[in-house]
Amino acid sequence: MLENILTGFANSFIPINFLLIIAGLIGGIIIGALPGLTATMGVALMVPITFAMNPISGLIMLGAIYSGAIYGGSNSAILINTPGTPSSVATTFDGWPMTKQGNAAGALNASLFASAFGGVIGTLFLLFLAAPMAQLALKFGAPEFFWLCIFGLSTIAAMVPGNVVKGLMSGGLGMLISTIGLDPLEGARRFTFGAYSLVQGIEVIPAMIGLFSFSQVIVLVGSNNKFIADYKAKKGAAMLVAKTLLKSAKANLMRSSIIGTFVGILPGAGGEIAGIISYNEAKRWDKNKANFGKGAIEGVVASEAANNATIGGSLIPMLTLGIPGSAVAAVIMGALLAHGIQPGFKIFANNAELAYSFIVSLIVVNIVMVFVGVHLIKGTAKVLNVPTSYIGVAIVALSVIGSYTIRNSIVDVMVMIFFGLVGYFGGRVGFDTGAMALGIILGPIAEDNLSRSISLAGAEGSVFKVFFTHPISLLLIILTLISVLTPLLMAKYRAKKEAVANDKA
Amino acid sequence: MKKNNILVKIVGMVLVLALTLTGCGQKTATVEKEKYPIKPLNMIIAFTAGGSSDIQARLMQKYWNKYVPEQPWVFNYTTGAGGAIGFGAIAKAQPDGYTLGGVNVPHMILQPMAQDAQFSIDDFEYISQVVTDPQVLAVHKDSKYKTWKEAIDYAKANPNKLKVGIVGTFTGHHMMLLDLKDRLGIEVTQVVYKGAADQNAALLGKEIDLMIGNVNDVMRSIENMSILGIAAEKRNAFLPDVPTLKESGLDLISDIRRGFVVPKGTDPEKVKFLRDSFKKIQEDPEYLADMKKAGQPTDNMSGEEFDKYVHAQQEYNKKLLTKFGLIK
Repeated sequence: MLENILTGFANSFIPINFLLIIAGLIGGIIIGALPGLTATMGVALMVPITFAMNPISGLIMLGAIYSGAIYGGSNSAILINTPGTPSSVATTFDGWPMTKQGNAAGALNASLFASAFGGVIGTLFLLFLAAPMAQLALKFGAPEFFWLCIFGLSTIAAMVPGNVVKGLMSGGLGMLISTIGLDPLEGARRFTFGAYSLVQGIEVIPAMIGLFSFSQVIVLVGSNNKFIADYKAKKGAAMLVAKTLLKSAKANLMRSSIIGTFVGILPGAGGEIAGIISYNEAKRWDKNKANFGKGAIEGVVASEAANNATIGGSLIPMLTLGIPGSAVAAVIMGALLAHGIQPGFKIFANNAELAYSFIVSLIVVNIVMVFVGVHLIKGTAKVLNVPTSYIGVAIVALSVIGSYTIRNSIVDVMVMIFFGLVGYFGGRVGFDTGAMALGIILGPIAEDNLSRSISLAGAEGSVFKVFFTHPISLLLIILTLISVLTPLLMAKYRAKKEAVANDKA
Repeated sequence: MKKNNILVKIVGMVLVLALTLTGCGQKTATVEKEKYPIKPLNMIIAFTAGGSSDIQARLMQKYWNKYVPEQPWVFNYTTGAGGAIGFGAIAKAQPDGYTLGGVNVPHMILQPMAQDAQFSIDDFEYISQVVTDPQVLAVHKDSKYKTWKEAIDYAKANPNKLKVGIVGTFTGHHMMLLDLKDRLGIEVTQVVYKGAADQNAALLGKEIDLMIGNVNDVMRSIENMSILGIAAEKRNAFLPDVPTLKESGLDLISDIRRGFVVPKGTDPEKVKFLRDSFKKIQEDPEYLADMKKAGQPTDNMSGEEFDKYVHAQQEYNKKLLTKFGLIK
């Protein structure tokens, strides 16, 4: 194995492969940063080009694009409050406030370092623990998925403290919207009002672009600020952030990366869920909870470390079992199959050089990403020096193009505009766009797995057995209870303390 | 003044939007000429780039460029609703010979029948069939069932206890399950998955006892599965040791097929040109070798035969769905 790992490093540094890593990263970061162009699309577009390459170079390039795109999504999340890919939803929670406070450079660098760190940890799991992790992924059935979604949704309670009711309403509305279209069990039409264009349901990405970017444009246009936020390039910002992270965010980085890897191995749960869960956990374990949502660098770190860690995670079941852990992993598997390479445990024996070179190259990719990213950040941050009137037009153009390209459908553009208005006016009456996005993302997965669990319960003859006896389910239920009850108990505890303090006074 | 500024900004943005929207929606009419093709052909793929349909079409493109070097294909991914959006786009395209696209059977039959899809199988001229991916019955490699009959016997003795995984409703898998229930008189618990990946994971994790899958999909996790039977006329080159259901006493053929079509009303000369060109591609030994390498189960059929096949399948599916009360 050591020999294979060394060969992997050697292959990564062959000039053509190294060049592909840099090109893949730059391309990936740009694709990721543009709202609507997702990692899946970026990787899929490049698959046909890999047909003409040797498989190792092809895979190395696809890995670089994948990593770059997942990281790149944070750039627009931080600078214009628009997740470039769904994975970066949780990055907006603190990244955008940091930008508004004039600390865009801090947020951008933090997201870069965290992404690279998460990416490396995820890859190390893939390299050394692929077999046990793959077995764990298989233990995750429909009930477990259902509880994972409920756990993710419980974040809403913690996300909008003081306004839990509006948060829950936003989340509930999001889930309700996600039921439009064909139901997962019987294929019956719901809430389509006879319009065939609604049969396919509301696509998540246009809805998110609307909720986050388009509504943001309306806010920008309505404000009298000439620029989005103050920004002056400072020398040594990257070093400063690196030092801060090393000093105070080690546990957060590690925890988020591990959460990301675990969520990554599950087919059907990706970077967005990993980011949200890690964000919530970072908040739970942090001493200064109140800072979260107001520009806490820890929030950016948690979300970004987690979503890049999902990359290594998602490749584990793909390489070992032929079950892709994410849509991008599925595309990469397509590329493998097109080269006549069958995934499965024997890939590590029959195609050892290819498998190990691909995995090891991901470590190289993440390290190179830091150097590429640091330079790109200097350019991307200049967005803040462009007057909002131009930025607004640019975001609208990108939002329209991005929504349209998801499946070349004008319906998605209308969906995007609709959700832009929902986001803008909803925001004015205290609706929480983050909670609504959570509902839209998690709703369908929760419903799908709930209905499947009920089918299974029918065969088992016991609903209780299916939902409440599996160990992983129990763990998730306990975590959910803790997540929901902590803010309540904390509030009571604080009130009591204050009361005691008042009594003494 | 400030208010005016905002107004100007809003109007500007609306203009940009309007321009973009109209730009995307426009269709260009072309004057027909005798020479064909004189411009690139628009190839509509109803599934995502990089997927199995896309890979097959791109392999084909390589040989199209060999036999028809004058004009290339431009790929257009119109995805959603299990392919129905893309199939509808082909049906509604100008029948000028410059739009063709990939279709899947039985998807294109079931979607209009059960889900109000905006096209019918009569909206197309059929160019050729390229792939047949038969359905199989698969279990975990540690399963107690060694033959499909053992699983069926269990289901007969224990109604609704056997958990059978399928991908989607009103799909090829669903139809095969209905057909099995119909012919064998069994009641099972139907567990519906979103995609082959989730379904494979569920079988490997023993959440389901038996699954209906396609050869292409089960091949990816074949190390951990055993395949009990294949619903095809003949044994499959990818699974030579797996008996057909027919061999073991059940005359059930069920599969997913892929082919190419153009909109109805396309000039017969052009249809003929396309059919002939596809025939040349499909007989090219290098094409066949590439298809095998990519794991694509080649099954060539002419446009005329494909047309007949699709219409025959329409009848079969209609009967089955009516029997189970799933359509009126």
